[in-house]
Order: sequence, then C-alpha cells, then structure tokens
Amino acid sequence: MESLRLLSAAPSDRGSQRCRLGPGLMSALGLSLGSPLLVSVPGGSCLCTAWPRADLAEGFLQMDPKCCSLSLISQLPAHLNLEPGQLTPVSCPKLKGVRITVVVQSVEFKKHTPPRLVHELVKDMLRGVYVHQGFVINLEDFDTDIRYVVIESINPDSDTIGYITSKTGVEISGIQTVRHYRSQLQDQNTVALGGLDEVSASLREMLQLPLLYPNTLSALGVSCPRGVLLVGPPGVGKTLLVRRVVGEVGASLVVVRGPEVVGSRPGESEEKLRMVFERARSAAEEGPCVLFLDELDSLCPRRTGSSAPENRLVAQLLTLMDGMNQSDRFLIVGATNRPDSLDPALRRPGRFDREVIIGAPTLQQRKAILSVLCERMPVCPSVNLAELAQRTTGYVGADLSALCREAAMLAIRENSKDSGEQAMGMKHFLEALKSVRPSCLRSSLGRTELSPVTWEQIGGLDEVKLKLRQSIEWPMRYPEAFVRLGLSRPRGVLLYGPPGCAKTTLVKAAAASSHCAFLSVSGAELYSPYVGDSEKALAQLFRQARACTPCILFLDEIDSLIGSRSNSQTPNSVQTRLLSVLLNEMDGVGLKTLERRGTEKILQAEGAEESHPQEELDCQEVCNKDVMVVAATNRPDCLDSALLRPGRLDHIIYVPPPEQQARLAILKVCTKLMPVSSDVCLEELATNTELYSGADLENLCKEAALLALLDKNMEASTIEHTHFLRSLNKMSPSLTAQQINTYQTAPR
Amino acid sequence: MSKPAVISLHQALRRSFVCLENSQKVWRSVLLECGPLMESLGNLAEQSAALSSVQISNTPLRDFPELEDRLRFKLSQATDTVLSKLNDKMSSLQSVRDSVSNQLSAVQQQFEQNSDSLDVIDVTERSAATPSVADMMEWLQDAERHYRQQFLRRKTLLQTLRVDDFSLLESAPKRWKSLDSAEDPVTDTLCKVSFFMESQ
Repeated sequence: MESLRLLSAAPSDRGSQRCRLGPGLMSALGLSLGSPLLVSVPGGSCLCTAWPRADLAEGFLQMDPKCCSLSLISQLPAHLNLEPGQLTPVSCPKLKGVRITVVVQSVEFKKHTPPRLVHELVKDMLRGVYVHQGFVINLEDFDTDIRYVVIESINPDSDTIGYITSKTGVEISGIQTVRHYRSQLQDQNTVALGGLDEVSASLREMLQLPLLYPNTLSALGVSCPRGVLLVGPPGVGKTLLVRRVVGEVGASLVVVRGPEVVGSRPGESEEKLRMVFERARSAAEEGPCVLFLDELDSLCPRRTGSSAPENRLVAQLLTLMDGMNQSDRFLIVGATNRPDSLDPALRRPGRFDREVIIGAPTLQQRKAILSVLCERMPVCPSVNLAELAQRTTGYVGADLSALCREAAMLAIRENSKDSGEQAMGMKHFLEALKSVRPSCLRSSLGRTELSPVTWEQIGGLDEVKLKLRQSIEWPMRYPEAFVRLGLSRPRGVLLYGPPGCAKTTLVKAAAASSHCAFLSVSGAELYSPYVGDSEKALAQLFRQARACTPCILFLDEIDSLIGSRSNSQTPNSVQTRLLSVLLNEMDGVGLKTLERRGTEKILQAEGAEESHPQEELDCQEVCNKDVMVVAATNRPDCLDSALLRPGRLDHIIYVPPPEQQARLAILKVCTKLMPVSSDVCLEELATNTELYSGADLENLCKEAALLALLDKNMEASTIEHTHFLRSLNKMSPSLTAQQINTYQTAPR
Repeated sequence: MSKPAVISLHQALRRSFVCLENSQKVWRSVLLECGPLMESLGNLAEQSAALSSVQISNTPLRDFPELEDRLRFKLSQATDTVLSKLNDKMSSLQSVRDSVSNQLSAVQQQFEQNSDSLDVIDVTERSAATPSVADMMEWLQDAERHYRQQFLRRKTLLQTLRVDDFSLLESAPKRWKSLDSAEDPVTDTLCKVSFFMESQ
C-alpha cells in the first residue's frame, strides 16, 4: 500500500481528536466512522478517531493531536511519510475512572481557583475524549487557563486506552503550571555527565537536604546554604552540571544570562533582576527551584570607584541575595570562569556560601567523560578509552565532545564512500585528535605544533636516551613500579652539551613518545617592554601547564632566557626576576586554590601490587600530576646554582659530542633517505670526522648530495664516496677539543 | 436506492438538526439577554473601584454616617443580584448544551447499532441535496463541541471573577463580548443542511 503524507490538521478540526484518512484506507483497516486509532510517528504516538477526508482523497493523513504522548506535546513533526502499518485500530472500553494531573497556564489561576471548580471544568472538558495512559490531553482549544491534562492512570487498569463518558470519575492528583511542567519535561532528556560525580553529589545534597529534612534543619536552628559559586575554566561543564543536577532532583530552573538582564534605561536592569528573583520565588512555591546565574562575572563585576551603572546592578544583586528570607526555598547557583573579577562582597557566606572549583578533568575524569560520550555512539570494541584519555591531556569536557563529534564525522565521511558499517574506530579518534586541540592551551604562549620524532631517528646517544626515558617515559609507562618504590617523577631535567648535538631533538622525541602535553617557550615570547609582564607570562605559562598535566615545559637555551644571580651586572634585571619566578613555580609553597583539580588521591604503596588496569590509571594520576621542566643549554656554567639543586632541575644530563660508533649511527640515519652508491664506506667517514657534531654530520651529507647534483648536472641518481670525501675536505668541525674539555671537567 | 440503515440514520439526523435549530435560537436569545447583565456587572465593578479610591472623609459627604460601608453593601448586593441572574442564564445555556449533546449521542448510538450494515462507501455517499452521513455527523459533532467550548469559556469567566479584584470584574464585559466569535459554525451547518431538512 502506498505511504501517507502527514499534513497539518485543518483549523476546523482543532480539538476534535479526528484523524482524517482516505475512505479506501479506512475500509482497508476495517475502521468505521469515529473508531479509535493509534497513530505512531517517530518520537511518540497519537490517539485519534478515524474520519473520512472531506474530499475523499487517499494518500494523506491529517490528525489533531488532542491526545498524544509526552514528547509530541509541543508540536507534531512535519513533512513525514507514514506507512499504513503505523496506524493501529484499537478498542476503547468506557472508563470507570481516571486519575490525572492538570497543567494550568498561570500561577494566579492555580492559587485562586477552588479545586472544586477545576474538577468541574476538567470533567466537562474531558467528556467524549479517548485517552491513553501516560498521554497528554491538549485542552488549548477551550481557551481557558487549563492547558493540558496528563493521564496518570485509568480504571479499569487492565487496559491502557479508554473512552471518557459523563459517568467516568475524574480524580485530580495535582495541579502544575505549564512552565514547571515543561521544565520537567525538558530535564528528562538531558545528556549524561561524566567525571563530575563528587561535585554533582555535593550540589545535589544542598538541593535535597532542605527538602527532605526541613524539620531537622529548623530544629537544629541551622539555615541551609543557599548559594553556590561554581568556578572553573570554560568548557568543563559548569552549566551542564547545574542543568543535570536540577533535572535529577526534579527542581525547576530559572536561568539568568548576564546580557538578558541588562537594559538600556537607568534602573531597567535592576528591575529585571528583581523580576527574575520574583519568578524564582513563585517557582519555589511549587517545588524546589534553582536560580542559575550564568557568566556571573559579566553580571556582577568588581565595583569601581566611579558611579558606573554596573555598580547599581551589583548592589541590587547583593541586596536581593541578602534579602532572601528563610521561607524562600530556592538555591542560587552562580557560574564563572573568572572568579577574581567578581565583586568580593559577593563571595562571603550568606551570599555564595560555598565555592566549588571544577578544574580541568584529570585522567580518570576524562575517561569517565569519554565513556559517557561514547555510550550512544557506535564505537568499535577496539577503541581503548583509557589510552584515549591518556592522550587527551588538557582537554576539557567540551573538547572531548568536539573530539567525539569530529571522529564521528570522519567515520561518516569514510563510510559514505564505501558504504560500510557505521562504526568509529581508533584511527578516527586519532585523526580527530589532530584537528581538535585542547582549549586549556588555547592562546597559551608555548603551544607548539611539533612533528613527531621517534627515538630511532636520533643516532647514537643511547645512554642519554635511556636517562631521558627514565625520567619522562617510565613514570607514564610503569606508574605502579614508581609508586611501589616510593619514587616520584623528577621535577626537571637539564640537558647540556656542545651545540648541535641533538639536545632539542631529544626533547622532541621524548615528548612524542610520552603523549604528554608539550609546551615550549622562547625568549621572544617571554620578554616584554613592560615591567612585570614577562614574569606574569611565565607564571601564566606554568598555570596553564598545570591545568593539563602531565605536561612537559621545554625551556630551550635556558642560559639566555634566565640569568644567574651571581654573575650578572645588574642585580634587578628581567632575567633575575624571571629566575625567581621559575624557582618559585618549580618548587614553591603550594598551588593556588583555583588550580585544584579532582580530589586529592594518595595511594598506598602496597595496594598497587597487582597491575590491574584501573589501579594503573590511579597510579598514573598520582604520579604524573606535576609539570616537568626540561631545559637545554650549552653554557651550564651560566646557570644559577639554585636552579640546579635536586628538587628543581634534578637530572642533569650531559649530551656528549658523538663518538665514532655514534657518528656511524648518525650517518646511517642521515643517509637513510639518500641513494648512496655501494662504494661509500660510512665507517671510514665516521673515523675521519673526529669532533664533528650531529648537525655537522647532517650538513656533510647534504653537502655531498649537492656536490653530486653539481657533477651530474641535475641527473644524479646516486651519491658517490668521492662526493662525501670532497665535502669532508671543505668542512671543518664546529667543536674544538678545548670546548669539550670544559664541558667534561666542569659539569656543575 | 439507499439502504434502510442509511434512511433511518437520515431520519435521526433530520430530527437532531431540527432540534439544533431550536437550540440555536434559544442560545442566541439567552446570550442577548446576558449582554446588558454583563454591562451592569462592569458598571458595578467600576463603581466599587471608584468607591475604594475615594476618601469620603475628605468630601462634603462625610456627614453621612457609615456612608462607605453602606455604599459597599449596596454595591455588593447589586452585584450579587446580577450574578445570580447570570447564573440562571448559564443554567439555560447549559440545558441547551445538554440537549445538543443528547441529540449527538442519540445519533451516534443509532449509527453504532447499524454500523455492521454500513461500510465506508455508504457513509461517504453524497448528492446535491443530501450531504453524506459522515459530513452530517461531523457537523453535529462540531456543533456540540462549539456549544461545549462556548459554555465552558463563559462559565470559567464567571467563576473566576473575584469580589476583591475590580480590574478583573471591570474587564469582564469586554472579555464576555470577545467570546462571541465572528463565525458561528452552527449557523453555517444549518445553512448546509437546509435542503436536506426540507427534502422530507
């Protein structure tokens, strides 16, 4: 049978509960005039009575959604094509009784209308209506304050569908306002929230405690807390958390967005603010209520001396919050990502009693968020969420959801080509990781894109590589071993050695292999003509790095960046001030309260013996919560001694100039991509290049290749041994024996 | 020719439409009588509001003892009288509504009794003078729904009036008038079925 197009109902049918069909379809379905019919559409279904179309045309369906399921209450989906199989004739017995909730338009009506009258009106309105248990009856066509009726249960309860006659008893179990009802409906389909269990538990407790134990609280003479300030960087889910908790508790939510309140006329903003509080107060009479002030910093900035209009708004908010009396049972939740710019008067007990800090998610929290996000996506079982969580250091909830979305888009794009199965694999996530960057590090100074370097791309230096791995890779890979031996990750590593010996490349490889966030900073970014600006920038850099631990902070050429106090001419230069900032940040007294992330976890050493994956993650979280500073220099003697003590740069690694074996390895790496003829003897080259650094050797190979091109006039296909020898003759080593001697004799 | 079931249905429908015509007349006349009553209700509300806003002690009328209370008593008594008259009118409106509802249910009952012998083709068959059974039943339903809606709206309006809220009382005549919708489905219906009713 052909499919039916769903059209909107004719205005004359409004409130008639009719479903207009073609007469052919009616007889095919065995329907007679006015027999009840259940129409299922995507998202819900509607109970109607069958009626032939006035023009007797087939292939169309028009229905009046008088009785429909909750999700269709706002509007029917338009432009649908239905199959005749989606229409089910049903039988409707007459009902003995029905229990309903009435939804009315205004609070005034609810307050002033006697229940007897509501009962009388509703009974009249419902007569002759076919009802389905759990469905909503739309009574808007009567144009009264009674808007909807929700069918809670019907009697006899053996059926779910029935017909209300004048003899059906109507029992009203409750009266709600439309706003309250709609907010409840909305809350039912909020998204799940991952990784914020502790915060949401404390918020829920504050909401529920006064509701569950009102007498206990009053007996104790305690006033329950009424204000919570949520503080955290953008994207961690402050707004979502509030919506979620409010939905779970079943409270109604009144949202204030800063710009909505501010008006142009003097006094208008204050008036709007008062109206919002009035709205919350009336909503609180119906049940628990939360007044949510999003982006509080824009609404309530720090008051300045002049009589700016904001000052009056701030004052109004303060008085409103203070003026809430004990009977106003609503909770005020504010959210901000710039708590320092709030007016200090707002942050005292009595206004915002509690401050909840939500930091950037830790490893565990990220895993929880990812698992929540991936719950409803078709994800291959091969996707390892724990690994993904490790790789997404510095990502907040919003970033993670962007990541999942991007991965899903990639999967769709790929599958639309070969129409394969719709599943997201690990490769999609890894691809998406490249395009979605963590927002914690956005606008950060040292954010660097680096091309990944593997350890194999660095010839020689095995000992140094091992040491670096020990200090960077091992704490990530074997956290339980570190915890077992009571080891902690080194705070800092200093690489020193003659120039051109792959110090920077080594750090790159370390960063690539450990999946840490990697920040690199140079003097150009740090120095500024303003006094104090450089220090602030460095402190900011550390703060951002801490927000996305585990993180490697790379300070290249640290000797020029940060001076030494002992031998500098001007004792108060920028360098020395930067040095003091660095010393403080690396081994300071403690963290700022605003940088708290997750809860403090302390692991028992004996508890971590079996390497359970969950515990491994726990260990990792405990081990890798610090920023690791990696510095490189070729003038270690210029560094301040305070910087070199254990606890700051505690691993000091000498990167020596390559020896013969190392040089051979380097040459092999360098010539890997070059077509070298068979007569080239790399061993000979390696012995002849005493005092050549890695950079020199790379240059040597390049030079030889250029010579080959010069000889054969652009058609060279191989590089001969002679080319290498010729280029060797041209060059001289950049290192001197005396230089190396100074490094070796005076490491500190 | 038509089946006997259709013919009997036609007769039932004809009876109901005759009844509907009478009901419509009664409904109209009752509403006409309600108009002045509502006006006077509005006037009384205005007077009460004026009484509340005036300070009698500041006027030359202050010599009359307990003037404000007496006036208020008189006004409320008058309001009560008007409201009780309106209540009577409402009950006659309700009887109109009930009679139309009874007609509808009678027709529906007859239809259900004959529904086995009637298929959709019979029900939707129409001619120049005789609308189809489906159409006529639809119109009868619509008329009944119209009366019910009108009655409920007016009843809600009257029942939600409060003595202490003068603005609500004052605006009542206006709101009452706005309920008289421009298009009246019952008149339309009666026009549509006039040939059918004469075709006896």
